[in-house]
Amino acid sequence: MSLEVRDLHFSYGKITALDGVNLKLEGGAAGLLGPNGAGKSTLLRILLGFLTPAKGDGKVLGYDIRHQRPLIRRSVGYMPEDDCFIAGLDAVSFTAYFGELSGMPRQEAMKRAHEVLFYVGLGEARYRLLDTYSAGMKQRLKLAQALVHDPKLLFLDEPTAGLDPHGRQEVLELIKDISSAKDIHVLISSHILADIETICSDVVILNKGKVAAQGKLQDLRSIDYSLFELKVMGNESLFRQELESLGCRVDETEDRILKVYMPAERDRLEIFRAASASGVQVRHFVKSRTSLEDLFARTVGVD
Amino acid sequence: MATIREKGYSHWDGALVERKFPWWPITRTGIQLAFRRKHFKFFFSVSFLPAVVFLVGIYISERIEDFKFMIKDSENFIKINPAFFKTYFTNDFLLFMMVMLLVFSGAGLIADDLKHNALQLYFSRPIGKKDYFLGKAAVIFFFILALTLVPGLVLFFMKLVFSGNFKLLTGYPWLLPAIIGFSALLTVFFAFYTLLLSALSKNRRYVTILIFAIYVFSDVVYGITFGIFRSPYVALFSLKASFQQAGAVIFGQRLPYAYPGYLSFLVLFGICAVSAAVLHRRIRGIEVIE
Amino acid sequence: MTAVIETRNLSKWYGNVLGLSDVSLGIEPGITGLLGPNGAGKSTFMKLLTGQLKPNIGSVSILGRRIWNHFDAFAKIGFCPESDAFYEEISGWEFLTGLLSFYGFSKAEIRARAEKALDIVNLTGDKDRKIRGYSRGMRQRIKFAQAIGHDPEIIILDEPLSGLDPLGKRKLIHLIKDYRDQGRTILVSSHVLPEIEAMTSRIILIHQGKILAQGDIHYVRDLIETHPHVISIKCGDARGLAAKFVNEPYVLKIHFGPDGDSLVVETHKRDAFFGRLNQVVLESALRVEEITSPDDNLQAVFDYLVGK
Repeated sequence: MSLEVRDLHFSYGKITALDGVNLKLEGGAAGLLGPNGAGKSTLLRILLGFLTPAKGDGKVLGYDIRHQRPLIRRSVGYMPEDDCFIAGLDAVSFTAYFGELSGMPRQEAMKRAHEVLFYVGLGEARYRLLDTYSAGMKQRLKLAQALVHDPKLLFLDEPTAGLDPHGRQEVLELIKDISSAKDIHVLISSHILADIETICSDVVILNKGKVAAQGKLQDLRSIDYSLFELKVMGNESLFRQELESLGCRVDETEDRILKVYMPAERDRLEIFRAASASGVQVRHFVKSRTSLEDLFARTVGVD
Repeated sequence: MATIREKGYSHWDGALVERKFPWWPITRTGIQLAFRRKHFKFFFSVSFLPAVVFLVGIYISERIEDFKFMIKDSENFIKINPAFFKTYFTNDFLLFMMVMLLVFSGAGLIADDLKHNALQLYFSRPIGKKDYFLGKAAVIFFFILALTLVPGLVLFFMKLVFSGNFKLLTGYPWLLPAIIGFSALLTVFFAFYTLLLSALSKNRRYVTILIFAIYVFSDVVYGITFGIFRSPYVALFSLKASFQQAGAVIFGQRLPYAYPGYLSFLVLFGICAVSAAVLHRRIRGIEVIE
Repeated sequence: MTAVIETRNLSKWYGNVLGLSDVSLGIEPGITGLLGPNGAGKSTFMKLLTGQLKPNIGSVSILGRRIWNHFDAFAKIGFCPESDAFYEEISGWEFLTGLLSFYGFSKAEIRARAEKALDIVNLTGDKDRKIRGYSRGMRQRIKFAQAIGHDPEIIILDEPLSGLDPLGKRKLIHLIKDYRDQGRTILVSSHVLPEIEAMTSRIILIHQGKILAQGDIHYVRDLIETHPHVISIKCGDARGLAAKFVNEPYVLKIHFGPDGDSLVVETHKRDAFFGRLNQVVLESALRVEEITSPDDNLQAVFDYLVGK
């Protein structure tokens, strides 16, 4: 169990940030979602050992969140959302510096800094001053300093913010690679649901200081009944008629996707038969799941 | 047989160490950054000028015979005694250069971290607030001690070497503690002073201005109020005056200003206390903000 | 359909730094996505469209009239920039009404419009708070409010969803689609390609100051000949299915997915392929789990055209 907290409470003065949070996370990558002000950053800060909860307890990587905070901070890597760097240093010095502060011996920190900078794609630029770095490079640098001490738990706060499409792609691949190394647990907080869907196997949705939903993404999104998403090429209206005559319900969404609700007793092959009969080609066929966005909307309740 | 290295993320198989001084990387980096600033090396060298001059003075004082042809009243020319040291430690030029160095090495110490949001990187490491402040303060310690304690000890030691005897030590046994004590006073005070100002703003330029302005302005205020009120107590407004007063007390010399010496100590410690309180609150505020 | 925004040989450079080079295109009503790597020229393009920059060569016309220095045309355009440059000391209300006053509305109309705009972005409750106290999401929303307050026909948005939480994004996308349904012209620039895909399938791709692609994303994909279409099929018998296609000349590549029960096919002739696929499914009573085109999306088009 890499992370387990029970009944966490925390308030900033009169504002309640966390109101009884219970959470259990194991390996792999988990996504932390929630509207603004739901308590995500507060939860992250407590898990990082920054803050002590007013009530409740828990363990991160086996260390107590109240009494062993420095030990937690040794084994945890944090990639903050805001831009952060130190002017006047180059990437290697910067990364090694923070490695040292995490407790690495100086030479080891240096060696590891080079390695990690290559890994995140800053190898060529590692001797340049940070002041000359572009936004995308600064983002990778943040990831590098989070990885330099080989943490067992990684917190990433909006890891793809401000990156262009290439940058996003590359950072997402890096995170996938890291989280597939089975002994690093990754917790990602992000508003970009597409990213969470790509990387995470588990998801936690916070709302108003409580956990509104938690579980495997696959399970949370699966639908019990037969709903298929189709794209076809050909005479659509004829196809729809065929399907409807079989007892299916057909809806059309944006981007010309057909949502077909099939009664339980029907076989999916009948869709293909209907297609053949109406002379259309099925070009896209997927068993529908709740979109993460719908799941979010449903859980958070508003709207 | 052959091996290849897999692409992708690799683990580090080293072990973390418990440092005796966990704040040391902060200090080392701070000193490095100071030296990288433009013109810093120049100013740093120039601030050793008084030390060099006084060192030459010590040399001359021992070899007075050789220089007799240059000086008329050789007996009273240079006496190496506590007054000599006090003059070195409280001379205007040296104090001013120290303030200059504070600007180079200290203005950005906390201000830059605030500006570039680096605090969250520091505090996600297993170091505490105390380590952070101590590490930053130690940067200032380094530079100020280099200008006070180090030259002080060198001058003391060189006098012993040149004169070939321990008269300085036996004649004034409290001189050495005085050197150490005054150096410590200046060092600690300047550390609090600089860190306080550096933590008040995100902009290094403002802090630079503040560091200078408060020092210079405090003296100006003294001058103006003295002109109006003619009371020696208004010298307490001036930081420079407090240094000189405190220096005179520590080196057992005549007080330059006509008020009890302990008041200067109170002013200096008072500022340190205020600084400590403000720093404590300011950094906590940042940690906790959403 | 006539283009609402038209550019002809539009070029702009800063000293000797290239911004945009020889861009001639027309933007029609509806939602168009604007994408490109950093430094490609997107912001230059948007600034030229909104009349903030003067072209070095060429022209920008809105609704048939050139816009450089034609301030009356600005009333028809709403712009929501990416950067956060606010007067922090005034309230949201003051900010909005202040900007609206530039359009020559009467006081009563300004008030009415400001209220409506605040209502649309859900900031009515916070309108009297100083902008300094606004959260990131609120700043984004007030920016959007000032872009639509004067009811412009053309709305240009630069990263409008950044800083919003998923529900905020959903609301804003919904709103933008409403505007599209009203017949307005909307240009949205974003780096988060899935979010553009949620809004529109029409895009303009800029790279190194030039237009690399323009039009419906699926047609654009069709035009990329160097990358054959990729189709992924998950079914009970991947190898069996593969055997049915090995002899077909239009199949360029087959490889098997890591999980063992999917195959990935590359082909130039989708029509032929899908025709045969549908046939095979019925003939072999294949239990199809999934048929998808993994590279028929914006990210793939971006990667293929811009290169790595």
